[in-house]
Amino acid sequence: MVKEIERAGIPVVHMCTVTPISMTVGANRIVPTIAIPHPLGNPALSPEEEKKLRRHLVERALEALTTEVEDQTIFEVK
Amino acid sequence: MKTLELGYIHIKDIIIGSESKVENGVLYVDEAALKALVLEDENLKDVSFDVAKPGESVRITPVKDVIEPRAKVEGPGGIFPGMVNKVEAVGEGKTVVLKDMAVVTAGKIVGFQEGVIDMSGPGAEYTPFSKTLNLVMVCTPADHLLAQDPDATLPIENEKKPEYEQAVRMAGLKVAAYLGDLGKNVTPDETETFSTPNLKEGIEMYPDLPRVVYVAMLQTQGLLHDTYVYGVDAKRTLSTMLWPTEIMDGAIVSGNCVSACDKNPTYIHENNPVVHELFKQHGKTLNFVGVIITNENVYLADKQRSSDWAAKLCELLGVDGAIVTQEGFGNPDTDLIMNTKKIELKGVKTTIVTDEYAGQDGKSQSLADADPLADAVVTGGNANEVIILPKMDKVIGMLDYVDVIAGGHAGSLRPDGTIEAEIQVITSATNEMGFGKLSAR
Repeated sequence: MVKEIERAGIPVVHMCTVTPISMTVGANRIVPTIAIPHPLGNPALSPEEEKKLRRHLVERALEALTTEVEDQTIFEVK
Repeated sequence: MKTLELGYIHIKDIIIGSESKVENGVLYVDEAALKALVLEDENLKDVSFDVAKPGESVRITPVKDVIEPRAKVEGPGGIFPGMVNKVEAVGEGKTVVLKDMAVVTAGKIVGFQEGVIDMSGPGAEYTPFSKTLNLVMVCTPADHLLAQDPDATLPIENEKKPEYEQAVRMAGLKVAAYLGDLGKNVTPDETETFSTPNLKEGIEMYPDLPRVVYVAMLQTQGLLHDTYVYGVDAKRTLSTMLWPTEIMDGAIVSGNCVSACDKNPTYIHENNPVVHELFKQHGKTLNFVGVIITNENVYLADKQRSSDWAAKLCELLGVDGAIVTQEGFGNPDTDLIMNTKKIELKGVKTTIVTDEYAGQDGKSQSLADADPLADAVVTGGNANEVIILPKMDKVIGMLDYVDVIAGGHAGSLRPDGTIEAEIQVITSATNEMGFGKLSAR
């Protein structure tokens, strides 16, 4: 899906936990996420903390989306 | 030198009655005693026992685990250490095995990845457990585990699934250990001895043979996808080593609901075919060094760490070759490729044993991940292959879940009683330790 949407000229950020698979399938902008069963959340956190985490991940993804890349790039989340 | 003798008692028939014993190859089971043993667990409301024999028109579903009864006769520890018996290192002395039979746990579904065993017909060709005499225990969860929705007939959508999974897992292991104990005073029909030299001895004994280690990947994704080693949930472990014979004494047990075709039931751990084949070649064409166990977790950092450690152990051992087996599919394919790549980069040749999800037409990519260094692969077959299973005269368990288990679909169970599904639904059809019957060239 990532590749097909990009083929149509729209840049894509692939947010995923297993970044090696994302690299293998050829995504260009990759943002690592939390875990396979809960990529954008973390049940160990309080709802407030979790919201902060979610926002942070999405902001990182938006940042990646607007960054020029030459090659497949993993945008580590701090 | 670590030596274990397995004594095989071939079981020709199972009779459910009022006495427990093994006599002249017949296993007699005291139903009331077994029931009392299982119902010690307050999370189980009921259990019923039935026997399924090879060639019968019988379907068992939904199947959770398959276990071979064993007992320690000599040597430290007990069978299934840390689970049924106390934690003590096993793998030496003598162990008795009730051969040609299995304990099969079934009952109301825990997770959606439970299986089907047909004792005859085309489905029987795909599962190794159509050839064993099966003592099937159909477990019923206690009411308090179903409290959320007493009318639910489909998956128990509440928070008690882990308790139910644990109850059924422990019930199966306890019954298998109980039956194994019946063999303790019986003279085995045959024995087989497995000896593993320590590193120093091995190098001295076989200076010219290539040294080979077996890397067993254990399914540990959590959420009902777990494996236990000496009672420890393996997702909380670092990659480590075992004597191969510890596995024969039940050091590794299954607690998971991965797709039926490629989960490793406890029976297959006990009879791990890679371990057995490596022993056959040990001292002849290779020197079998031991077993590295590593996990398949859901955090990338865990995958990185565990594969680093598996590769590091190969490096530390200075082996020439490694055989890597997997459990499950999808993201574990990344663990498989990470292990293989990192081990190869240590200068160790690898062969992987896996299976494929190549689509119903077999034309899709087989694994979710790949690398040029993974250039020696043995496949257990394509799990997406479609099969029609005929109606069976008798069902042990229940057909309620055929449409929802992995590999099934809405309408899998057809009005005439036949089942159309992917072979994914069949227990151990594409086993990734090579215990199944499928492969490809």
